[in-house]
Amino acid sequence: MRTLLASLLILIVIPATIALGIVVLDDRNYYFISLLIILYTMIPFAMVFESRKPQARELIIIAVLTAIAVAGRSAFFMLPQFKPVLAIVIIAGVSMGAEAGFLVGAMAGFVSNFFFGQGPWTPWQMFSFGIIGFLAGILFKKGWLKRSKALLCVFGGLSAILIYGGLMNLSSVTLFASTFNKEALLAAYASGIWFDLVHAAATVIFLFLLSRPMLEKLDRIKTKYGLIER
Amino acid sequence: MGRDSFSTYHPAVNFLYFAAVLGFSMFFMHPVLQGIALFSAAVYSVTLSGGKAVKFNVIYMLPALFILAAVNPLFNHAGMTILFYLKNGNPVTLESIVYGIAAAAMLVTVMIWFSCYNKVMTSDKFIHLFGKIVPALSLIFSMVLRFVPRFRHQIQAVSLAQRSIGRDVTQGNVVHRARHGLRILSIMATWAMENAIETADSMKARGYGLPGRTSFAIYRFDRRDRTVLVLMIVLIAIVLAGAGMGENTMRYFPSMRMKEQTLFSGVVYAAYSLLCMLPVIIQLVEELRWKYIVSRT
Repeated sequence: MRTLLASLLILIVIPATIALGIVVLDDRNYYFISLLIILYTMIPFAMVFESRKPQARELIIIAVLTAIAVAGRSAFFMLPQFKPVLAIVIIAGVSMGAEAGFLVGAMAGFVSNFFFGQGPWTPWQMFSFGIIGFLAGILFKKGWLKRSKALLCVFGGLSAILIYGGLMNLSSVTLFASTFNKEALLAAYASGIWFDLVHAAATVIFLFLLSRPMLEKLDRIKTKYGLIER
Repeated sequence: MGRDSFSTYHPAVNFLYFAAVLGFSMFFMHPVLQGIALFSAAVYSVTLSGGKAVKFNVIYMLPALFILAAVNPLFNHAGMTILFYLKNGNPVTLESIVYGIAAAAMLVTVMIWFSCYNKVMTSDKFIHLFGKIVPALSLIFSMVLRFVPRFRHQIQAVSLAQRSIGRDVTQGNVVHRARHGLRILSIMATWAMENAIETADSMKARGYGLPGRTSFAIYRFDRRDRTVLVLMIVLIAIVLAGAGMGENTMRYFPSMRMKEQTLFSGVVYAAYSLLCMLPVIIQLVEELRWKYIVSRT
């Protein structure tokens, strides 16, 4: 049922939206279409999570990690892009699994914008944070990402530049440029690279400092209260 | 200016309004409709936050409008009416300039709508609306909103306790300070998780997740909500009908062309204005009514 709905979304609704954009809107309204697609991609995660009827303990651990990420972002608000959100999200993905990683990321993006202001960028941030947490969980399960500081830092830095920066710069092209071509994309990436580098540096620093103690704390909680390992 | 009257309507009414105006503002690139949307958004933002909104609109949104409008022709070279050539040989066209202005107006309108949205759709309304559809996620959402101030408070407490044994971030040299800061954060995180598990157990003990439980809601769907909702649906239907007839967009490339104005386009413009201005109109009516009924002794 779930996979059916997810594949329905991916195979029919998303192409239909793109087709609508090309036919009805004359393929000019990139922002609206890309926003819809980003929203669709988050629906399956929400549905899987809701239909599983999660336990209170699981919910509240996700809420705590999200709150730590949000509080961390607001603690460093005076330094633009220097935020620990991504580090916390990666730790969550590694320790609690891919799904929790996605939820912590998406929720952190969503809730922190209640403090910083919602805008058309919110779904993009939610998706970018979420997918990095998801990837961290998947890669850890596959054994490609270990609990070593060095590996986590490398993953954090790369994902901040490639995935978060890549997606957010793409979003600013669809948002600001109103035409979609190589020049506009290159300009967006060139102007965004400093922000991405700062963000990557912040992620690496926070992962370097936080990864071991946070993972240990989460392990301790999991052992002490017998949270199910998945 | 007192409280905003539209904010006191049912969250569903608020949400439908913002979904409609935001969607339409992103969708329709027709000068008349864009003008209506930009004007209404600006007026509503001023009714909501007064002078602060005027400042925001003039200091940030107006320059943004000009910069974005100026940037578009540098990247977009489509269009028939070539005005002049840039140094790198690319043409600057009239169409790309006009389109740049339209796109910039759209973006600024969306930004101003969002500034209104942030004022009206507070988090409790959001939870009330989505609590039924995604109960677990909205619970997480509301817990996070509570945890953030609570954690800040707890950090204060931990930091004070550490200060009494000389281990606060204000004590020692730089290395010590950093180490103390990390220690405080670490204490905080451990406390947060332990505390969270306790909360979870308490929730479970009180029957969280059992069938047949209801939740408290402060919102009631009144007759006035129904009236406004029906009115909004009618207006949205008219605007969508206009969209179906191709009234709400215009062609920019390769040459600009607008559909001829008919009586029906007038109807669509009127419906769209009424829809966008709805909260301001409601506010005005309320204020007039208040002026009328207030006792003069």
